[in-house]
Amino acid sequence: MLNFLKQVGDYAKETAQSAKFIGQGLSVTFDHMRRRPVTVQYPYEKLIPSERYRGRIHFEFDKCISCEVCVRVCPINLPVVDWEFNKATKKKTLNHYSIDFGVCIFCGNCVEYCPTNCLSMTEEYELAAYDRHELNYDSVAMGRLPYKVTQDPMVTPLRELAYLPKGVMSPHDLPAGSRRAGKMPEEILDELEAAKEPADQAASDKG
Amino acid sequence: MTLGIDLQGSFVDALTGLGLPAGAAKASWLPLPMTLILIAATVSIFVTVWLERKISAAAQQRIGPEFAGPLGVLQAAADGLKLLVKEDITPAKTDPWLFTLGPAIVVIPVFLSFLVVPFGQNMVITDLGVGIFLWIALSSVTPIGLLMAGYSSNNKYSLLGGLRAAAQSISYEIPLALAVLAVVMMSNSLSTVDIVNQQAGYGILGWNIWRQPIGFLIFWIAALAECERLPFDLPEAEEELVAGYQTEYSGMRFGLFYVGSYVNLVLSALLVAVLYLGGWELPVSIGAIASVIGVSESTPWLQIVAAAAGIFMTLAKAYLLVFIAILLRWTVPRVRIDQLLDLGWKFLLPIALVNLLVTAALKLTFPIAFGG
Repeated sequence: MLNFLKQVGDYAKETAQSAKFIGQGLSVTFDHMRRRPVTVQYPYEKLIPSERYRGRIHFEFDKCISCEVCVRVCPINLPVVDWEFNKATKKKTLNHYSIDFGVCIFCGNCVEYCPTNCLSMTEEYELAAYDRHELNYDSVAMGRLPYKVTQDPMVTPLRELAYLPKGVMSPHDLPAGSRRAGKMPEEILDELEAAKEPADQAASDKG
Repeated sequence: MTLGIDLQGSFVDALTGLGLPAGAAKASWLPLPMTLILIAATVSIFVTVWLERKISAAAQQRIGPEFAGPLGVLQAAADGLKLLVKEDITPAKTDPWLFTLGPAIVVIPVFLSFLVVPFGQNMVITDLGVGIFLWIALSSVTPIGLLMAGYSSNNKYSLLGGLRAAAQSISYEIPLALAVLAVVMMSNSLSTVDIVNQQAGYGILGWNIWRQPIGFLIFWIAALAECERLPFDLPEAEEELVAGYQTEYSGMRFGLFYVGSYVNLVLSALLVAVLYLGGWELPVSIGAIASVIGVSESTPWLQIVAAAAGIFMTLAKAYLLVFIAILLRWTVPRVRIDQLLDLGWKFLLPIALVNLLVTAALKLTFPIAFGG
């Protein structure tokens, strides 16, 4: 009998507890209603891609030495390097270069290993096309530079979360000249140089 | 107890004054409230869909529909129009009759139930003696439509979805009816108007929610399950299943299910307002307001104001409940089918029975407070 009463009591307690948890959950959801939307109203607002954004690859035709390193490091040997050996100059001349961005996974290996830095990542990500074959970019298409979000008069550029001042969560209505939390890379570099100089001085004094 | 404004009486009097026989005058009155309620129910779909989308968006820190009309109010109309002109597909080897009848049988009882929803003392299509019972009876027709839709689709997943929907509706109807029964026992009547009148006189303190808190919760949970709202939307679980019994439906036949589910939500919210939140009563009783400002309760302008306030209060209470339902949708995870049936049969049903017995005992002990 006592055991049964205990069971009933436990059950009632559990029920009250779950009701409490649902109430807590409701208060969380309710609290979210008064928060500002975090969404980016895409065609009108766009996020500024970060410096290391791996977008569509840019290619500089004149720098390329047709070494095909990009093909070898590519996980699927994607870049097509069409070259000829010029017997007079004893050098390879590049005829065509193309990458199919419908297949590319934007891993950036080709950019990483290119010995002449003729490949680089841009911040372009709007590659939509009506036909997948249009995504096969040749050297001319890859030589174009993307239009910057910050220069587009139709678009409100928004900073990404990591580029907002400390404690700020919303990229809307930032005061002009507000800077992101932490140090900028160039400041870190300056500090390092400043720290290195006295050390160099000391070393040269000694020697 | 005031009678409030009697539009029907005035209308019939005016027509008989013009020389019409009384029967014809009454017959010409009848279509007016029906059309009005039908329009109101249809408009309520648009309002509810808009609220659902906007509140869902706010709960997820989105904006929601924005471009179709100011603040996206016309989004539901645009969606409806799209469904209307969409190709109406009947899949191969379906049973064409059942396939068409299914959605109709789901929708018609829901609209019929508006017969007994009162918005004021005389603002109800019919003050039936069996009002709330009629609603329970009509709401048990719905699972037949769901079964028809699932069975006729010639798709095993649809059939499973239909069976689940029917199982869910049937198992939650019993706690629902028992919760209603406790209220009915307190008001000694099945009529929705009587149920509201029994809560009148003491403002917010007289509402049934104070005397039937457990009944209120049971009714609300069961009503959510009847409407197939989250956390009980497993027959159609949009994130996991292919819409259950609605899988094979498209175009306006799918639109009928959609319409039915939203009207059903509004209807359930209205009935919770009527049964537990004092229906058209204001938080302060209209008699008290009248005596404070020093006018008789039968003053014509006060009656008109009271009637308008009554309609407003009924809708405000109902939409508060709709709001809670939408908020619950984004708060509570979906239950499994076994948890659903456990909750219905092993938890709500015994609690509802105990609630009924306790109400009966309280009615015998304190006949003044519990409507002896």
